[in-house]
Amino acid sequence: MSSFSEPVIAPRIGTGRGLRRLLHPVTPGLWLSVAILIVVILWAVAPGLWTGYNPVEGQSGNQLQSPSAAHWLGTDELGRDQLARLIHGARYSLSGALTAVGVGLLVGTLIGLVAGATGGRTDTVIMRLVDVLLAIPSLLLALSFIIILGFGHIQAAIAVGITSIAAFARLARSEVVSVRRREYVEAAFGSGGTFLGVVWRHVLPNSLNSVLAYAAVQFGWAILQISTLGFLGYGAPPPTPEWGLMIAEGRNYMTTSWWLTIFPGLFVIVVVLAANRVGRALRRN
Amino acid sequence: MKRISLPRPSRRAFGLWSLALGLGLATAPAFAQQVPKAGGTLIYLEQQPHTVLYPPAGGFYPNGGVLNQITDKLTWQNPETLEIQPWIAASWEVNAEATEYTFHLRPGVTFSDGTPLDAAAVAANFDAFGQGRKDKSFAVSEVVNNYDRSEVIDPLTVRFHFKAPSPGFLQGTSVIGSGLVSLSTLDRNFAELGDARLIIGSGPFVVENEVPGTELDLKAREDYNWGPEGHPHQGRALLDGIKYIVVSEDSVRIGALLSRQADFVRQIQAYDESKLRDQGYVLYAPPTRGVNNSISIRPDNPLVADLRVRQALQHATNREEIVKTLFSDNYPVATSVIASTAQGYVNLADKLKFDPVLADKLLTEAGWVLNARGLREKDGQVLEFTTYESLPQPQNKATLQLVAQQWAKVGVKLNVQGGDAGSRVTDSLDPLKTAVLPSMVGRADPDVIKSQYYPTNRNALLQTGGVSDKVESFRDDRLNGLLEAIAAETDAARRIELVGDVQNYLLDQAYTVPIFEEPQVFGGAPYVKDVAFEAVGRPSFYGTWLDR
Repeated sequence: MSSFSEPVIAPRIGTGRGLRRLLHPVTPGLWLSVAILIVVILWAVAPGLWTGYNPVEGQSGNQLQSPSAAHWLGTDELGRDQLARLIHGARYSLSGALTAVGVGLLVGTLIGLVAGATGGRTDTVIMRLVDVLLAIPSLLLALSFIIILGFGHIQAAIAVGITSIAAFARLARSEVVSVRRREYVEAAFGSGGTFLGVVWRHVLPNSLNSVLAYAAVQFGWAILQISTLGFLGYGAPPPTPEWGLMIAEGRNYMTTSWWLTIFPGLFVIVVVLAANRVGRALRRN
Repeated sequence: MKRISLPRPSRRAFGLWSLALGLGLATAPAFAQQVPKAGGTLIYLEQQPHTVLYPPAGGFYPNGGVLNQITDKLTWQNPETLEIQPWIAASWEVNAEATEYTFHLRPGVTFSDGTPLDAAAVAANFDAFGQGRKDKSFAVSEVVNNYDRSEVIDPLTVRFHFKAPSPGFLQGTSVIGSGLVSLSTLDRNFAELGDARLIIGSGPFVVENEVPGTELDLKAREDYNWGPEGHPHQGRALLDGIKYIVVSEDSVRIGALLSRQADFVRQIQAYDESKLRDQGYVLYAPPTRGVNNSISIRPDNPLVADLRVRQALQHATNREEIVKTLFSDNYPVATSVIASTAQGYVNLADKLKFDPVLADKLLTEAGWVLNARGLREKDGQVLEFTTYESLPQPQNKATLQLVAQQWAKVGVKLNVQGGDAGSRVTDSLDPLKTAVLPSMVGRADPDVIKSQYYPTNRNALLQTGGVSDKVESFRDDRLNGLLEAIAAETDAARRIELVGDVQNYLLDQAYTVPIFEEPQVFGGAPYVKDVAFEAVGRPSFYGTWLDR
């Protein structure tokens, strides 16, 4: 999964000036958020560099140890290092969130584009369907899709993505409708451009800005949704070190081993907050 | 105050007085233990809500915990000696072939709706349990084998006729699944009986109120006077009532117990035991004396149709490691299919040796070779199984993960699903979807092994002829023959011998991977006294009292 987390995020980090422009004005809180995300991305890309422990195979006799020098965040009921599991788990949260946002962005934009560009009856029918989709609580919708798709990490990500299609479609449509009326678009039509050609060359690129910004904000939300599904047992099956699943598995040990729930919970909170912070900064610019 | 009343205490006298006071304080609770106090309501925290309370469905522990208080049985199995003693039946006769049982009932027993518990009522109960009733969706009780019909001889005498010998029936009348209910309850449909208020029994407690799925209130029955003869307490129950509250989170149950918001809780996990014990709480770990906590293998699935693959799984499982990592002394390592406290147990630890080298050899012989990803592969197919966590079993998800970890070392992949109850129920009946599945069952009679593996009972191995319509062809007539023989053998010694044969056969065929002997672990506050357990670990609060 790491293969597609690189091309999307890496170029932005690579071009420092571009990043600074995108995130302007840069406050300490924003820097911290960016730093957190970079660390988590590095965990996802190369977890082996950060920990020597095996995330899925425990050592018998090592179980339920409190945080110590050897195991910074303690060990779980099977003697697995908690930090190793969290580091390896970053991959599932990030790739899942990317998949989810990707599904929402692609399908939602396409629907919005078709509706906004065609207009008329097609627009009405599509947008009423989107309204129906919006009316259903997103978690319920995600659960329904999971039952259809089957349990699993990617399935959970796709289900989360499907639930965000409606929001993307609405946003994309409103942008497309306003761009569609611009003079240069009318001019492009007037100078003999085909419908598809003009939509592709002029309408789509110019309406993408706010949709992409929205996608950045959706990223944190998607991490949270995927963790929720994992917590409920619909995501990646054990022993996958998925964060939501880790919270769920640890909660039975709350009275004796608090670290099993607290740390995965904190990780989700921190990463989601960081993603939201960066997402908002991107949206502003 | 006491010190003031002392006449000018000298140092020695003061020392003596304080010693006496100290002794008095220390021994006071010990004296109190001798004289049970009546009154008070016991708050009982359950892990799961009860399901349908039709008595034969009482095997599920949350159901048994309720049914045991509100219903009486014909006989009482002494939990210490496992001997069958009189209860609602004052005496009984069994013919030599074990095909006719005559019970003489205790006079004056009534159900809580006022109707008499007489021969007609008992006959109606066992007709329903033994024959099942299609129109009410009542299935045949797993503890009543070869049942033919009942015969009411006089108002207090009933005789049961069997088509073939049914030696397990006498013990069967003492179990949770044979609780006697009134005719009005038997008139209901199975699905209606999820409402505890409709279960009219003759037990020491009656249902007062219920909030389905969350709370259940029982109150003591004032005129109850027919406890088991051998029971230390007689007459009305000592408690005024019992309040059941469903609290599914383990940590919340423990927290409530430790903060004295609850008096008694079911399902204490092994990792919480020491915490409770350190704070003076009492742990109860009655054995379930049945089929061990195991992983059943379904040979209808082509992946495990080969005996060598099943044996490899058997030898790839390290029971000691599982018990050492996840459990405590209350969970003995399995040494056979059934628990060492079960009747007819034979120690077969030799067949359950952890031997990854042998497992590797068996798999290679069977044609499963390691591929590049470290998994076993044959004809392009990977040796990979999916199974579902069994919620009622202690730490089942962690157990299965550890098993998955152990199997992975010989290249076998086991996926553990949590998921929802619906998918679990449908998939667990399909051998292609669940080639292996965790299972256990408790009951203090050799029949227990038949209950677990016979196609028309629990059908743990998914043979043809059971409830599943997904099974293609798997059927082991040798096994079924042995199981039928256990259910029909009248000679006790021969029966025990057959139970030994079945254990050997099941392990020789590697149909099941036993892991540990499952206790039911309860925790009680120090002031909860005299909690009793029936033979397979369901609590009875008839003689229980609160010392506070």
